[in-house]
Amino acid sequence: MTTAAPPPALLAVDDATRLFEGDTGLRGVSLSLRAGAVYGLLGPNGAGKTSIIRAICGRLALSAGRVQLDGRDPAADPEARRARGLVPQQLALHRDLTVRENLEVLGRLAGVSREAIADRVAWGLAWAGLEARAGDRTRTLSGGMQRRLNLVAGVLHEPRVLLLDEPTVGVDPDARLRVHALLEQLRDGGMAILLTTHDLDEAARLSDTLGFLVDGRLRAEGTLPELVHASFGTARHLEVVLEAAPEAPTVARLEALDLHASQDPSRWLGRQAGGMESLAGIEQALTASGARLRRVTLVEPGLREVFLQITGRELDR
Amino acid sequence: MTGAVLRTLYLELRRDRGALIMAFVLPVVFFLVFAWIFAGTAGGNLRIRLVVADSIADDDTRALLAALAADASIEVVAETDPAAARALVRRGSADAGLVVRGALRNAEAGAPPPVLLLFDPTRGVAAAMLAGRIQRAYVQALPDVALGEVIAVLDARFLDLDPDQRTRLEVGLRALRQGTQPEQRDLFGALYEREAVIGNAESVNHIAYYAGAVAILFVLFSAVHGAITLLEDRDAGIVDRILAGPAGIRVLVDARFAFLTAQGFVQVLIIYLVAWVGYGVDLPGHLLGWTLTTVAVSLCAAGLALALVAACGSRRQAQTVSNVAILILSAVGGSMVPRFFMPPLLQDLGWLTPNTWGLEAYTGVFWRGDAPADLVLPIGLLLGAALGGLLLARALARRWEVV
Repeated sequence: MTTAAPPPALLAVDDATRLFEGDTGLRGVSLSLRAGAVYGLLGPNGAGKTSIIRAICGRLALSAGRVQLDGRDPAADPEARRARGLVPQQLALHRDLTVRENLEVLGRLAGVSREAIADRVAWGLAWAGLEARAGDRTRTLSGGMQRRLNLVAGVLHEPRVLLLDEPTVGVDPDARLRVHALLEQLRDGGMAILLTTHDLDEAARLSDTLGFLVDGRLRAEGTLPELVHASFGTARHLEVVLEAAPEAPTVARLEALDLHASQDPSRWLGRQAGGMESLAGIEQALTASGARLRRVTLVEPGLREVFLQITGRELDR
Repeated sequence: MTGAVLRTLYLELRRDRGALIMAFVLPVVFFLVFAWIFAGTAGGNLRIRLVVADSIADDDTRALLAALAADASIEVVAETDPAAARALVRRGSADAGLVVRGALRNAEAGAPPPVLLLFDPTRGVAAAMLAGRIQRAYVQALPDVALGEVIAVLDARFLDLDPDQRTRLEVGLRALRQGTQPEQRDLFGALYEREAVIGNAESVNHIAYYAGAVAILFVLFSAVHGAITLLEDRDAGIVDRILAGPAGIRVLVDARFAFLTAQGFVQVLIIYLVAWVGYGVDLPGHLLGWTLTTVAVSLCAAGLALALVAACGSRRQAQTVSNVAILILSAVGGSMVPRFFMPPLLQDLGWLTPNTWGLEAYTGVFWRGDAPADLVLPIGLLLGAALGGLLLARALARRWEVV
């Protein structure tokens, strides 16, 4: 009996490296993305999320590594570039053009033919629920509508790989949910989506695979259960927050409990195999060492806790 | 794809009232102001406001001042004493002052000139004009004095007249002084006659000049304003979006080059249509030369504006740099003051500016009636700058494509 080979990656980034002044940039990032999958790339500001998108778009010259779209080099193959769509973090729209005009000109520039543009625009307007506002200037749209238009403009040419840089930043929860629904439709239609976001809930909801980018390195990658298991096994997430940075006796006690300091020296993180009953003993031991406790929490680990364990810090919002 | 960019630029311009006014209304207003000014000055309608102070007040000085007052180019605004005359000129209430401080005939040797001219150095042209008018009035109003002084010099240096000749001369000069008919007093034939070597009236030439001067100035300003949309699109992420697809940065630069050229052509056309309809500048009679020049001017402005904008890091920087650059180029290049009024060094420096190239071509077309072959140098310079600007803009914009 033979098993079917996994479908080939539509997007393959291999060992992408490029360093800038200040020691920021990309350090050997590799990731791949298949049709009908969403890859959620998480990381703090300056981690390299936008750099990896720019590298995939051919806008960042790599000092090492390579990017392939559908097995082709987009720098050398115009067809490969047509397979790529970008939805920038900014509302990359002409604000004095109408909704329809924006889609027409941006669609043409993305490679939609003159013959096909009217049909594609009609599809885009209907898909994003913007038909009623087609003749209105873009600047008069609500933030959520502009986000949807921003998304439609990136997929009008039916890219096989869609790059989304913070697609819901600055919009209200209802508008965010509408964008999520649109993205799920695209994914279900077979589009490969790379999503960078600061929103852990968004990443957890939409992504099949999650990657944590920190200081230009991909520190962890996998599905949410895989990441939780890798970080916690069957344990829970233990978090101790002190009133101030601890003195030496308290540090010794915290380390004895297998806790490690986060970037905030008053906040200590660790894993705890025991149940809630173990909290009393932990609090007692720490208080005995002179620690002034603000809170001690023990929770089932999710994406936030995985991120905290791996990076030692909260994700900036 | 180029069509999509052109359409975007057209729609954005059409909906931006400020840009529309800047591009197509303000230039016409500017041109009309200049045309108004120069239609008057070149048409011989200049009048000097003169204050006079006659400390002698004899028949001769009154005759001189009456002759000046009769001159259509002089308006005597006050008759007063010398101190008050000085004050009026200093305040600007008069363009010049004339103080008669000595008798006009039989002056003692070594005495200062009988007439003192008061002027404000910032209105030196008025003083120069007035000096010419005084000489003319002197000869016309007091021909016996003028001729008598000449004869006195001849007598003393060359002729050594005998008493009889002197007596006859005095009788003749007295009769001349008493003559009442202008032809009796008009002893000296005209030294010169004026002939315009170009068919247009001077005022039309000046208006044609300023049509070109204003047009080039505003084509440059509007080209920069249009080119700045490149930075706006970059900052808005639109360039990022477009460059993710098959279009390159060159499409964005080249499409703007085409659009700004067309925009510049229309701007210049509107100004010259107004000059033609309103002031009689012969646009239909010079259509070929005008078209060649206008295309070259528009291409040049588009290329230079794109290069300048592409060299700048931000919209604010581009606006600041371009405003300063265009104002300096326009001042040196003759868009504000005609170059022939400038010192020689500035006139030479003008050849480094597109304004001068364009104005040389336009004045060649409208003043000298140059054939297209005569316009090779200025049009060649404009086209060279256009191509250089476009290539530089492409090269500079490449840095946004890949870093």
